[in-house]
Amino acid sequence: MLEGASSQSSVKGRSSDTQSSRERDRQPVGPLPAEPRPEILFHRKTTLVGSLRELWAFRELVLTLAERDLRVRYKQAVLGVAWALIAPLAMMIAFTLIFTKFTKTNTHGAPYALFSYLGLLPWTFFSSAVLVGGLSLVNNVPLLNKLYCPREVFPLAAIGDALADLIIASVVLLLLFPLLGFTPKATSFYVPLLLVVMFIFTIAVTVAVSAIVVFMRDLRLVLPLVIQLGLFVTPVVYGADAVAKSTLGLVAYSIVNPLVPVIDGLRQTILYGQPPNWLSLAAGTASSLVMLLGGFWLFKRLETGIADIA
Amino acid sequence: MREGTVTASEIWKRFRIDDRPSYLQDRVASLNDRLRGRSNPSWRWALSEIDFHAEPGESWALVGANGAGKSTLLKILTRVMYPTAGRLDVVGRVGALIEVRAGIAPLLTGRENIYLTGSLMGLKRRDVARRFDEIVSFAELESAVDRQVKYYSSGMQMRLGFGVAAHLEPDLLFVDEVLAVGDASFQQRCLERIRYVLSQGTTLLFVSHDLAAVESTCANGVWLHNGQTQTRGPIREVLGAYRSAVEGEAESRPQIEGLLKLRNVSAGTPDGGLPKTGGPLDVAISIVSDQRYRAWVYFGISEGAATPIFLVNPGRETILEYGVTEVRCTIPSLPLARGRYYVWGGIFKDWTNGEELIGWQPLAPFDVFGPELDATPRAVVRLAPVHVESDWRFEHA
Repeated sequence: MLEGASSQSSVKGRSSDTQSSRERDRQPVGPLPAEPRPEILFHRKTTLVGSLRELWAFRELVLTLAERDLRVRYKQAVLGVAWALIAPLAMMIAFTLIFTKFTKTNTHGAPYALFSYLGLLPWTFFSSAVLVGGLSLVNNVPLLNKLYCPREVFPLAAIGDALADLIIASVVLLLLFPLLGFTPKATSFYVPLLLVVMFIFTIAVTVAVSAIVVFMRDLRLVLPLVIQLGLFVTPVVYGADAVAKSTLGLVAYSIVNPLVPVIDGLRQTILYGQPPNWLSLAAGTASSLVMLLGGFWLFKRLETGIADIA
Repeated sequence: MREGTVTASEIWKRFRIDDRPSYLQDRVASLNDRLRGRSNPSWRWALSEIDFHAEPGESWALVGANGAGKSTLLKILTRVMYPTAGRLDVVGRVGALIEVRAGIAPLLTGRENIYLTGSLMGLKRRDVARRFDEIVSFAELESAVDRQVKYYSSGMQMRLGFGVAAHLEPDLLFVDEVLAVGDASFQQRCLERIRYVLSQGTTLLFVSHDLAAVESTCANGVWLHNGQTQTRGPIREVLGAYRSAVEGEAESRPQIEGLLKLRNVSAGTPDGGLPKTGGPLDVAISIVSDQRYRAWVYFGISEGAATPIFLVNPGRETILEYGVTEVRCTIPSLPLARGRYYVWGGIFKDWTNGEELIGWQPLAPFDVFGPELDATPRAVVRLAPVHVESDWRFEHA
């Protein structure tokens, strides 16, 4: 036999064992009750550890799906992978023109192009993950109806694609720094910590949205609007200090929008040579972890009905 | 339990009755119900108390009319769908061919799709790579494997899907009514491949309306009717019960009434067996008449439509006396290839454009067992599935 995911998979309700069903095999089919006995109603028991273990067993599928979506996305595009650069670059240039020529934003001495690009990178990652991943279940109905797999693989694969785009777009930074004559500060080593918070928050929102969209298709239309508005409640074009003057305000802002400590932290560490604001980062981490648990619970709760509706 | 075992006991499944469009507030309400684990009252049971058990290497057919719940059961067994009640154990890797295009990404090439399906089945890349050439040659896609699947014909897509599902050594192979898309020779090769996979210990679950294919492939069967198990057991018993029920339905139709009435319509063989290519076919009807008629009786054999493949008639006018006339027509050697056919019939007052005593209508269905039709040469279109014996001699001068 092949190695791989040929595991014993078992979904159980509370019911009679195999033996009794074999006995029933020999009995003639009699008149049926109108409803199942309440004690055999199907309840799927999901544990967090069990779900994660199953997800790990399907890690190759996540990669394959992410690779498929990348290929599909760039297959018919003449410029190919360059599109991953063009979107954030165009936004950055537009913002730089608007916010340095027409209005002034206080960047505390850093070049505005860098200031906004460091905000745009996490924002583009988050928004494209939610936009694409949010529709991933709906768009993959043919696959969903074919074989069993933990359904999280679809939003996760979409996040993987957004990550690939993020990496490509980050390459621009290598050009942008020497071009603007600016050196990243030594405190940049805090960046991975900030990215973890960004991932947790993105996964939480994407997974929850993807399940809800299956049941409320209207969200497909609302989602782009919400994301567009989200740009303005996230410190992308302006600094976090423009919204929250006090520490308490910043913490509250970080709880509501965990991208705040991420973007603010990126600027603090890379541009200003300071550690991230720990209080704000802790608040964002805690809030995004709660969102992740809630989103995952929601997803698992709705997952059983996806094939009925789709 | 060994890989390839399926145990399902007391499976129930219900669906929402969609009798009106659901507005946003309905959606919000149902989402809320679902989150709180409450159930919604407007449901329809698609499956009721289904018990099913298959050991590794067993072959099971699911038969039944459209809407009987066959595909729903298959989806529950693949764990794509969850049952409302019941217990389910599926051990092993599942290869499923449920819809022709299910799981095929149209923008990817055939090659990329093979790897994608492989990882959906839980296989590692190198395991797929090992079987790659075999799949491609089985599906006859050598020249097209690097083309995007959206440029494939539906037959090519089906061949790709079946090739992948049947060659990646699944412990369980589920095949829904999809083979019909392929041409006759490919269908035959699929059936051969299914038999081979069975011999390797894979459990087969086969859903089809092609009863002849079912009978030649599966040892056991389940007949589902309105979501309930009607019969379960050896395939001949199940198909026998299913066929007689379908014929019973045709018999009980009230419209076989014109100026005359027809009773007890049947199509079968003189010894009560199954019609075979080259074997005899008996068509029998009882005509109830309330007066004396001079009539022309016609039977036609068709694949379902009103245009028959061939017609038979006694060649003379028949006198129908008052009362019941039993008519029995024997075709000694049936020139039909394997498949399902229908006896059509009509009784007319005059030879050609006479008044109808019984309008032209289907009387009874029957299945013919025998060889598949051969593939036709290019640009030759066959009109009727007629099987003719022929002797050939080639002499070199």
